[in-house]
Amino acid sequence: MTRDETIDRFLENVAAVAAETARVRGRAGVDRMIADLIGGDSVVYCPRLTELERSIALPEDRVTDDYTSASVCVEEVFAGIAETGSLVSTSAGGRAVQGGLVPQHHIALIATDRIVETLDHFFSQWGDGPPTNITLETGPSRTADIELTLTIGVHGPGRLSVIAVEE
Amino acid sequence: MTPTVAPIDFRSNAAAAVQDSLLRAALRNATDTFAAKRAQAAACVPLEELREAASGIRSEVLGNLSSYLDRFIERASRAGAQVHRAADSAAARETIFSILKQHRVDKVVKAKSMVSEEIHLNDYLIANGIRVVETDLGEYIIQLASEQPSHIIVPAIHKDRRQVGRLFAEKLSCEYSEDPAQLTKVAQQTLRREFLSAAAGISGANFAVAESGSVVLFTNEGNGRMCTTLPRLHIVVLSIEKIIPSLADLPTFIRLLPRSATGQAITSYLSVITGPRKLGDRTGAEELHIVFVDNGRSSIVAGEYRDMLKCIRCGACLNACPVYRTVGGHVYGATYPGPMGIILSVLLEGMAKAHPLLDATTLCGACGEVCPVKVPLPDLLRRLRERRVEEGFTPAIERAGIAAFGRAASLGGLFTLGRSMARVLWPLMEKLIDPQTLGRLPKPAERSFQRRVR
Amino acid sequence: MRVQLFATCLVDTFYPQTGEAMVKLLRHFGVDARTPRGQTCCGKPADSGGYVRESREAARHFLSVFGANGDPIVTPSGSCASMVKNHYPHLFKNDPGLRQKAEDVGSRIFELTQFLVHVCKAHETGFKGKGRITYHASCQLIRELLVREEPVMLLRSMQGVEFVPMPDAERCCGFGGIFMGKQPEISMAMADEKLDSILRTGADTVTGCDHGCLMNIADAVKRRGADVRVTHIAAVLAEGLP
Ligand code: SF4
Repeated sequence: MTRDETIDRFLENVAAVAAETARVRGRAGVDRMIADLIGGDSVVYCPRLTELERSIALPEDRVTDDYTSASVCVEEVFAGIAETGSLVSTSAGGRAVQGGLVPQHHIALIATDRIVETLDHFFSQWGDGPPTNITLETGPSRTADIELTLTIGVHGPGRLSVIAVEE
Repeated sequence: MTPTVAPIDFRSNAAAAVQDSLLRAALRNATDTFAAKRAQAAACVPLEELREAASGIRSEVLGNLSSYLDRFIERASRAGAQVHRAADSAAARETIFSILKQHRVDKVVKAKSMVSEEIHLNDYLIANGIRVVETDLGEYIIQLASEQPSHIIVPAIHKDRRQVGRLFAEKLSCEYSEDPAQLTKVAQQTLRREFLSAAAGISGANFAVAESGSVVLFTNEGNGRMCTTLPRLHIVVLSIEKIIPSLADLPTFIRLLPRSATGQAITSYLSVITGPRKLGDRTGAEELHIVFVDNGRSSIVAGEYRDMLKCIRCGACLNACPVYRTVGGHVYGATYPGPMGIILSVLLEGMAKAHPLLDATTLCGACGEVCPVKVPLPDLLRRLRERRVEEGFTPAIERAGIAAFGRAASLGGLFTLGRSMARVLWPLMEKLIDPQTLGRLPKPAERSFQRRVR
Repeated sequence: MRVQLFATCLVDTFYPQTGEAMVKLLRHFGVDARTPRGQTCCGKPADSGGYVRESREAARHFLSVFGANGDPIVTPSGSCASMVKNHYPHLFKNDPGLRQKAEDVGSRIFELTQFLVHVCKAHETGFKGKGRITYHASCQLIRELLVREEPVMLLRSMQGVEFVPMPDAERCCGFGGIFMGKQPEISMAMADEKLDSILRTGADTVTGCDHGCLMNIADAVKRRGADVRVTHIAAVLAEGLP
């Protein structure tokens, strides 16, 4: 698979699990897109750990460090897996993996060069020393426990937006 | 003297369930939906190759289980987890309770775990003054209703939306609704408070990875992630056979488990947890305990039913089973229902108690076709039926009927003068089939086939 | 060509017409079907009940009757054919002599439609028939003998017959040998559901390759007073012989 095909496949599979997707070239478009997604009254949590995260313009008066009180989490995720359309977060570098879980809306940025083709590519790299937590997130939280009727948004986010950023 | 155990009264349980039209409609809906989704999802991958690979990995682990366990324990300990081994249910319950007591925990949030059902953990903790909150929606429903799960993947499969609506209205004092989305919201709001205030989380694990000492959890709702990352203390309880060699083996199981269980290509969340929170981490429990439950598995793995322990608890065999579809999970009167449940119940709880479950199969073989790790379910069922006969757990009248049948079947030469096989078959049928049914069945023909072609 | 006909205990006892239909059918394809004397039952009821000793007795007898010559064996039952082919070797796993014999005999046994399609090459029967026919796929036939297409192929090839596939044709009807006797409530419920599927096809006839299932289905038809004929595939085919 070429890079482009891998990215396309990734975004297709993300979209297939009921998440919103976008692909942008360069950082220029990212701010606008996030501003649109966040809307006017949400409280935003952003870990500001990566360069990309630090470069995002956020409404400073509505930013919080406490993810449990946020309604939106904006973060750059560690990797993407094209095969399943999964986003990967890890605890490495002091990231709170649960930060993307608690707020109602998860906006995930992913650098396109962090998208791998298959689950095997991703899981063969850890050997005996994975970080404390690796979490794959594929689509929004869901349940079908009542009469197998699909309901989106249980304990995790009910809305997931994925922006693939190409440098 | 060995204590006498009452055998599970499967037949009466089933006879009642067959009459429950609500239950039967729910089961038909569920098993049809799951079977169709599974078939669809399975068609997108090289299924046979994956089953072969998964079966091979599981067999390799079971063939060397104690060394894989040792490696897991070494690696998990190195990563900072505290690993415990419990020989039986009582030991597992006590281990978990003493950890909680040590931390003065009075409330735990729990993610779905079948082995915790097996060891009857909740009752024990509750009896010892600890509040236990199940957080998987299905488990939560079951807990509110004070029932047992009736399916290993969808515990409340037997309830329809109206029943859940009434239950919530009564127990949670909310307005009656029969909209699954609204009901889910009610549960979510109630549970959110519990998550944020719980000092301890208990979860099961789908796999334990020997090479890295990690535990792996598949969930859809996000409650698993909540239970394992928000509270300070996280206790994982799992049975010893859940090991896979390395993270590189995980993709095979990711491709098979959700597809076989719910027809998804992957669950919404998949967490790989390696030890507790470390210096510089902002994720993870401060203390991670891993409790391995044996409950007789060490001896199962050494014997002729080892293959049963390949099971990854996907539930596909339940959904494929025509008997399960007709009567549901409660009638089995055991932790695990359906084809895998019959076998596990006999192996874990003993022939004396569980032998009637061996009648809960037509040996149609549908389960064996769908099992993602190729557990030879029909073959194991048949072998356990043989063991039941050897151990004398079949009714005397049946034994007498079969003995007469065996003698007659081997003496064909004596009966060449017509109605020969009627003499073989009819006595058997008279002993095994109730008179009412027998009355409706055809009577032996006046002249048997062999008589006619002479 | 000569074959040995294994009628099965159910056919011999209850459904001799099925045996006669088979003889006619095979004769049509130039096959001389002989019915070895002294044949009884393959032992399946004992085997699925877990009674190894009794199933061995039946198996030993079967092998002596049908092992006497090297002719192929044809039987109107997927479950009996599978019993001989797949279970006998297991019954004699500790007796090399009988195991060898079981494997030899097992390699020569055919379920009727399997024999018609693969040996008689009866892909296009051109037989005549009438009405709407649906078909129930019995468990051992499909999952142990792997005979899935053959019966359908034969039925579809009949002129004047409208073949209607049954929804969930491969779901067990609830017969299960001794299951029917030991769990009558579930067995009847399963047969009722099977009958629902049959009625949904609007067929006037339901057929299959195992009299066990057909007996159970016929019982459901009788209990409900439904208007469907239940009949073995041998009879359906033989009725259409030119
Ligand atoms: S036995 Fe196989 S099909 Fe049944 S639950 Fe276990 S893994 Fe799934």
